[in-house]
Amino acid sequence: MELTNLALIGMLASGAFAGLLGALVGVGGGLVIVPTLFLIFGVDMKVAVACSLVGTVASSTTAGSVYVGKGLANMRLGMFLEIATTLGAIAGGLTALALAPHILSGLFGALLLVTSLLMFRAQDQSLKIKPEVVSDGADQVVEGKEDQGGFSGAYYDVYHRNLVPYQVKNLTMGSVVSFFAGGLSGMLGIGGGFIKVPAMTLGMGVPMKVASATSNFMIGVTAVASLFIYLANGFVHPLIASVIALGVVVGALFGTTVSQRISPTLLRRIFGVLMIFVSVQMLLKAGGG
Amino acid sequence: MSEKILVHESRDLGTDRRVVQKQLQLGLALSFVLMAVGFLLAFFTAGERVESRGYRLDEFLGGAQNSAATLMFAGVLVLALTPPLRVLMLTFLWGREKDWKFVVISVIVMITLLVSVWLGGA
Repeated sequence: MELTNLALIGMLASGAFAGLLGALVGVGGGLVIVPTLFLIFGVDMKVAVACSLVGTVASSTTAGSVYVGKGLANMRLGMFLEIATTLGAIAGGLTALALAPHILSGLFGALLLVTSLLMFRAQDQSLKIKPEVVSDGADQVVEGKEDQGGFSGAYYDVYHRNLVPYQVKNLTMGSVVSFFAGGLSGMLGIGGGFIKVPAMTLGMGVPMKVASATSNFMIGVTAVASLFIYLANGFVHPLIASVIALGVVVGALFGTTVSQRISPTLLRRIFGVLMIFVSVQMLLKAGGG
Repeated sequence: MSEKILVHESRDLGTDRRVVQKQLQLGLALSFVLMAVGFLLAFFTAGERVESRGYRLDEFLGGAQNSAATLMFAGVLVLALTPPLRVLMLTFLWGREKDWKFVVISVIVMITLLVSVWLGGA
């Protein structure tokens, strides 16, 4: 296919927007990239999914490297859940061949709508826990930590200036949800963070910021599991994938610099609004067959 | 638990994070440069319209593309290999700490990724 220079600039901008969202709310960016490439720029659906996965890896790697350094991402929890997400990503790619797209869209939209409403009602459990350490200095930043041999840890909340401990629970539930998230990633070119983040915050006792950072950290590995399949079959257009990835990196870098200055409540609301918007889009698409 | 002890623990366990952070940054920087140079080459050497097509891995290795596409595809490959390399790196780091439970977990993830490569090529 031929692309105009204007189309390339538009793709670059959509990649930057996706990267920004990914860094702020733990969404890999595919929710923005796939519809943009498919609906606006007329890119073939499989190519859009494949190139979105490249953007998703870029988003995860950019944000993940920053959050790992700050001790926000829980690497042990992330690695454990990656078993389920990678298996799901492989299964998702195979399942997509058998199911009609409008059925997938309908299930996807309905699930998103329910989850987004739950997110609006949810309270961040981390705010109810008495902090272990309170920093007096405005410039002092205490790094987060994770427990060796276990899944729990603590993160430093810049907004509230305290070290917030957390205990991880319901690993089985988290694995089931992660498998499902990985499946959607393989089918639709998304990271699956919009499912994992609520599961971690609502069901596993993980604070929003840690859940968002850990989800971002995981998404790269999840996306790569299905990307290899698309890559081997020629669905990756180097030009489109590169433009998207370049935009994503710039957007994600900007997002990570401002994310810790944002209140968890605001973060959750941004996330909720985004999910409602995407769920309506998916349901409309499903209704249109 | 005092603040001093917490910070000390954080530094000890923070070694893993530093290594992983550097590895992710290096992979990202290399892929970014390759993709950016390739994109600029394609953007400024073409006219008003730029041809875009997909390449299979074997086509890429066989040199079926122009220099701009070569650079961009190489960038995509480097990017795609960065997360699996992170898994491999954590396997060794946790092994060094004798955190065997997580060594096993990361090995399982690595095997799953290898299965996806095998399925892609099959």
